[in-house]
Amino acid sequence: MLNKSLATAVAVFGVAGMAMPAHAEVSIMYADWLSSLVEPGIADFEAATGETVNAIKLPGEGYVERVALDLAAGTAADVIQLDSFVVSELASAGYLMPLGDMGSDWDQYQHYMPALLDVVSYDGEVYALPTDTDVRMLWYDKSVFEAAGIAMPWEPQSWDDVLETARTIKAETGIDNAFLLPAGTKQGEAATMQGFYMALLGADTPEDDRNRLRNWAEGKWIGDSPAIRRTLELYHDVYAEDELATASINYATDIGAAVREAMANDEIGILASGSWEFTCLWDCNGGPALPSADERNALIGWTPWPGSGLPDTKATTNISGGWAIGVNKNAQDPELAFQLLTTIFDAGNFGDWTVENRRMAVRTDIAASDAYASDAYLAEATALAADTTGRDTYPGYQVVSALVQQMTADILDGVSVEDAISEYHASLVDEFGEENVITYE
Amino acid sequence: MKYQLHPWLASNLWVLVALAIPAIFLIGALLYFTGWALAFSFTDLELVGRKAVNWSWVGFDNYARLFTRRGFLESLWTTTIFSFFSAIVGQSVLGFLLAATLRTQRSVLRGVIEATIMLGWLVPDIVAAFLWSATTAQTGLINNLIITPLGFEPVNFINEFALPVVIIANIWKGTAWSYLLFSAALDSVSREVVEAAKVDGATAFQRVWRVILPIIRPHIATNMLFITIWTFTYFPLIYALTGGGPGRQTEVLAIFLYKQSFMVGKLGYGSAISVAMLVIVGVLSLFYLRLLKEPK
Repeated sequence: MLNKSLATAVAVFGVAGMAMPAHAEVSIMYADWLSSLVEPGIADFEAATGETVNAIKLPGEGYVERVALDLAAGTAADVIQLDSFVVSELASAGYLMPLGDMGSDWDQYQHYMPALLDVVSYDGEVYALPTDTDVRMLWYDKSVFEAAGIAMPWEPQSWDDVLETARTIKAETGIDNAFLLPAGTKQGEAATMQGFYMALLGADTPEDDRNRLRNWAEGKWIGDSPAIRRTLELYHDVYAEDELATASINYATDIGAAVREAMANDEIGILASGSWEFTCLWDCNGGPALPSADERNALIGWTPWPGSGLPDTKATTNISGGWAIGVNKNAQDPELAFQLLTTIFDAGNFGDWTVENRRMAVRTDIAASDAYASDAYLAEATALAADTTGRDTYPGYQVVSALVQQMTADILDGVSVEDAISEYHASLVDEFGEENVITYE
Repeated sequence: MKYQLHPWLASNLWVLVALAIPAIFLIGALLYFTGWALAFSFTDLELVGRKAVNWSWVGFDNYARLFTRRGFLESLWTTTIFSFFSAIVGQSVLGFLLAATLRTQRSVLRGVIEATIMLGWLVPDIVAAFLWSATTAQTGLINNLIITPLGFEPVNFINEFALPVVIIANIWKGTAWSYLLFSAALDSVSREVVEAAKVDGATAFQRVWRVILPIIRPHIATNMLFITIWTFTYFPLIYALTGGGPGRQTEVLAIFLYKQSFMVGKLGYGSAISVAMLVIVGVLSLFYLRLLKEPK
């Protein structure tokens, strides 16, 4: 008898435990490098509402894949930091909540620059709010340049100039990564954007989208083109022919840390990366490890990425991306989730973060603020943004980008440019069909 | 003899039913996931985007691509090399040799060696990856302690010898299992039998080859079965250490599967890869299970 009632009691409690709704808390997923924006926002939100936020801080490497997987599996947080390029794709799969109605009720929504909201839109609806945008350039280590006897400020006019400088650095200093051009599959989108795209855009004329991954007029992906071939040749020169960079740093256990350490030890000459490096080469979240802007300027410099130097190509290239924060379609309490979002993006918190971390503003009110407008670095970076473009983020881009990374990985592996590109072409046809892939002679 | 239930159980059959529920759930879940992978290996399902919602059946396309596209066959070869050298040659042989030589020792030495190889087993994979990364880096322990003092240029091991580094790291990581299993197996060999062989004039090699090994044959097969399955599908240490690179040098099947499924986002193709892995591991397991059977 006792046994039976005991078992009944256990069963009842067990079922009750499963059925009782959890306390409606708000959860948020973000990458560790964004904590200086997100965490003060969480604190403000908790103070204002009395709710507890379940904060899920994740490593930056593999973050995009983790978020996509969690959303697909239905286990993602209510509020989610997203790389802006995946927003349209995730929205098209029905994972994100359109912010339209809620956004118009929020008085600061009007300050977001429309062009940047376009990036995080799908089918005319906005699905996330951007945190920042960026530009891309070639950073260089001033002490390495000094040791190699290269004149500064460094102003290369073509790929040949860059390669020549890197060869000089290698010959004079013997460092392994004279010109680190991001490659391979481990760092994901960083290899596509900081490396491949920046070269591709300057590899051929912009006419007919010959310097892109997609022909927008015809609505087809480019499976083979002189621009793609020239870009792969550049990778071949850097990694195989002249050995100006090592394959292994692109596959380090912690790539970000490996690059920061190598840069700090004067073991990288030129680094193809973006505007965030002015802080991220030390610490993306600011903090005591970050030297003053003057000290940083004494250590590193940057120059725009030159085009290939071939006729009709762009003199310098640039491409912009950025991050955003959106709300899960299945958020337990959408209004609370949206309130957390707007608290993070409240002018005070967001403005401070943008200026302190030298991020490029996505809102007119922040861009117009004295602190932002008077900063020399931000002014120069913004000037670079006058001539920029976005990725070919048509649905399917994520697959294309992964295939591009695979092409660069093949070059690291010693595969010929011809074989790497024919594999790329075949994989594009697998994915999109013969009718959606074109080739430029 | 007819099997009879305990009288208490017979009058309380619901206890049996309740106890069977977890097993039914577990078996159901296993069948469900295997069936899921098998079914979706015939589709173009993707992780995000349009094909995440509106996928379609593509027949054997994904399986054909295992052989016509770069990746699968290369990874299969890498996995074979990795499994053969790290599990079969490394862990198994090293584990056996350690067990055989240390069992007669009753010294501090044995304790120290046992503790050391157990540490490798107990350290989490990600921690082990960072340890090996730091050890084999250009500015790491091996270069600082050995290569540079001897007057050589420091070597970037992960860049030059990625697969051997990963193999050695996995031997270090997994030898403890084989060691423990073989230690127990050797304890089960009766001393009299070995002594008798010695009296009959068998040499040391003959005693091992013709007496001890045949006796512990089932243990060898069990060990092989486990470590082959583990190593063939092993992921965390390699992924954290090299991410499958540089290039594809250490891209074993598990990493290839992960990349195709979650980085490229092709869940359908990823499912086909996992089904292929299931078949390969299944065939290997059957082979070992045959070994387990006593010869007639």
